[in-house]
Amino acid sequence: MGTGGIVTAVPEPSPRLIERAVIAVNGGTSDERIVRVACGLARPSKAELVAVHVVEIGWSMPIDADVAGRSEEAQRVLDMVEGVAESERVKIETVLLQARDVGAAIVDEASERGADLLVLGLPYRKRFGGDFAIGRTVPYVLKNAPCAVMVVREPMTEESQA
Amino acid sequence: MIGGRRPLPGRKPADRRVRVERPHSPYFRYTGPGQMVAREAASRPVTPVGRAFARIRGVVFGRPLASEEEIGERLAKKKALAIFSSDAISSSAYATEEILKVLIGVVGLSAIAYSVGVSIAIAILLAVVSVSYRQVCRAYPSGGGAYVVARENLSQLTGLVAAAALLIDYVMTVAVSTAAAIEQIQSVLPAVYDYRIEIAFVSISLITIGNLRGLRESGNIFAVPTYLFLGLALLMVGLGLFHIVSGTVTPIVETDVFLPKATETLGLFVLLKAFAGGSVALTGVEAIANGVPAFKPPEARNAANTLSIMAVLLGILFIGITVVARAYDVLPTQPGGPSVVALVATAVFGSGSFLVPAFAAATALILFLAANTSFNAFPRLAAILAEDGFMPRQFSFRGDRLAYSWGIVLLAAVAFGLLFIFGGDTHALIPLYSVGVFVCFTLSQIGMVKHWNTVREVGWRWRAVLNAFGAVLTAVVMVVVVSVKFVDGAWLVVVLIPLLVAMMLFIHRQYAASRAQLAVRPDFVMSAPRREERVVVPVPSINRSVVQAINVGRAISDDVRAVYISSDPLETARMREQWDRQVPGVPLVLVESPYRALVGPLVAYLDVLDHAWPPDKPAPVTFVVIPEYVARHWWERILYNQSAKRLRTTLLGRPHTVVVNAPYRREDGHDADRDDDDLTASDGSDGGADGGADGGLEGVPPTERRAGRARPLGPG
Repeated sequence: MGTGGIVTAVPEPSPRLIERAVIAVNGGTSDERIVRVACGLARPSKAELVAVHVVEIGWSMPIDADVAGRSEEAQRVLDMVEGVAESERVKIETVLLQARDVGAAIVDEASERGADLLVLGLPYRKRFGGDFAIGRTVPYVLKNAPCAVMVVREPMTEESQA
Repeated sequence: MIGGRRPLPGRKPADRRVRVERPHSPYFRYTGPGQMVAREAASRPVTPVGRAFARIRGVVFGRPLASEEEIGERLAKKKALAIFSSDAISSSAYATEEILKVLIGVVGLSAIAYSVGVSIAIAILLAVVSVSYRQVCRAYPSGGGAYVVARENLSQLTGLVAAAALLIDYVMTVAVSTAAAIEQIQSVLPAVYDYRIEIAFVSISLITIGNLRGLRESGNIFAVPTYLFLGLALLMVGLGLFHIVSGTVTPIVETDVFLPKATETLGLFVLLKAFAGGSVALTGVEAIANGVPAFKPPEARNAANTLSIMAVLLGILFIGITVVARAYDVLPTQPGGPSVVALVATAVFGSGSFLVPAFAAATALILFLAANTSFNAFPRLAAILAEDGFMPRQFSFRGDRLAYSWGIVLLAAVAFGLLFIFGGDTHALIPLYSVGVFVCFTLSQIGMVKHWNTVREVGWRWRAVLNAFGAVLTAVVMVVVVSVKFVDGAWLVVVLIPLLVAMMLFIHRQYAASRAQLAVRPDFVMSAPRREERVVVPVPSINRSVVQAINVGRAISDDVRAVYISSDPLETARMREQWDRQVPGVPLVLVESPYRALVGPLVAYLDVLDHAWPPDKPAPVTFVVIPEYVARHWWERILYNQSAKRLRTTLLGRPHTVVVNAPYRREDGHDADRDDDDLTASDGSDGGADGGADGGLEGVPPTERRAGRARPLGPG
């Protein structure tokens, strides 16, 4: 606030509360962590949470082949997410997708739902040779997502530091 | 399952995606490979009546709790004290009077001089018993109290004796304490005498509902009256002691002192009788040891500490009330007059004080709530007995709110039954009261002596000595209680305990026998089916439910035959013609039944089939597929499937026979739209379609059959 019409300090921008967040889960070890993080972010504003799991369909099969529906594992990934959200007392919608490319499906789903935050998990892995492996989904999402993107990288393990 | 008709477009043509439906999601959750957990929606009723009933249950008992919420239902010490101690603490309201009543008959008005000594002796017994049960809580944290201690250290039979004694005692506690509470109200409002049964019913029902709502909620509901009584009683004792110390006591003058004719002289036996009379204060002390798993972790420590707090409070109140009563020269009045504790309250607070009626109300409430301790202890004990196979298994099942509903309801029913039979006056039951609990005290302490002798951990010697001392004390009290009250009715307990034990042994033997019959050897590996199968479909006519039943039969075996039983030869001929034309390939056996019986001829036909089977081959499995029509409304159920029910009941237990219900729903017809053209006759002349309007085995009314009216097949 100014005093006597003179602005003395630039006010801190108030953190914008999220309204709708999409969480991309892949059945990996970081899923639980990112769901809890997203629940923590969603709770103050009672934001809508949508967890998306994408099953990649190879080009040898039609895109609408009955693959994910029959996959118990794919269902289990989202059921786990629901369980974590329930334990955090936050409502969550789960979406199971089939697509040719995981990153594109996540971005498109987030765009269609008007999400203002996209949360992804990233395991700490190294390529052969020692470089950090970021995969191709995270860069795609970072480059193409219309909303804010939060990537939660897993902590390094002793094994990976060695 | 793919949701939506076409893939959703993406930013680029190749980025199409498809949403996959998750039909299991509302009802189940996958927790591991091939493993699911049912969600609340899976057990939600689907019929309107069921939903309405569930809503009512939700209002009365609360929403169903998942098993994982059990930890949230556990009790903290404050609530546990209110729940488990109401029985013991309420005893302080009448234990002093029980001592005085025994002594006054012998030594007259000087009885009061001896009462303090007797009450101190009882307090020592209370200390020994509570220390012993503290050890039980720690040694047996899974609960069960005297039953488990006796079972583990003495014998199964001794354990059952302890369990039977406790079960009887808990029922008595509910009946007697409810009657006592009503008497307390009656001394203020004599008009309630005419409504004592109704009041008892309402009170027991409310406590039942409270307990069916689960531990936590019953703790919330029942904590207030318990702490109100505790607060007022402690205030009364404190104020009384202050008056004594400050020398401001003015002894009260009673006009209607209860003075029975002396029949004995003061001696050891009379003192023991007084001791036994006052020992009712100890009833309920064992309840905490029965319910250790109801406590929040660390369960055993919390239970043991709660037990100590309860014993200290009870001791303070009991000795305090006796000391104050002595100082004010309070003696029991004639039956119907105010109680000793009410007189003490009047003397201490002053007759005009608002605290006097408040204390009277709190006393009545705590007496009602003494029953609540039993409502927690009885179902837990019954559940442990059921898990051990000594009571029906249902008693070990937890209800919607994680309470042992069967035990709660049984206790309420039996206790109310007793009150009803005795007309709300349970004085006749009082001699039975407290016998059982001393049987348990004695057995559990003997068991603990054996326990310490076996485990021999640090300090085992003094613990064993303490338990042995307690066992001797409680055994003496038990003998005195039984001998003093034997003629008055304690003999009934001596009869009831063996009866209950015999019943539990009978149940155990039944379960053991059925387990042995059903047992599969560990090395057994299921082989491929060797028996042959055949299917018999009893048919009332040709209708959609019959068509479905035939299809079900065909899925089971190639050997399918239909059996049509009728008392009308003309009808039989018509059925033959129609069957051969409409259901080719499935042989129809026509049975004329001149005596109009349906079930008998069918069973006889199955017997004939069995006899005709080659004796050198293993008997085949006969599947009797019964077509049934599913009624939409509850009132429709009396219109359909009555013959099917009779047939099913008759065939149940028949060797090598499996009864299969093939229920036909109206919706089944809509689902099979493509078959409708085949099934539905277009007109009456050649369709021959006289399918039963009521489906199943009920068939079509003869008048309609004879009219030969053509109607669509099926339920309409």
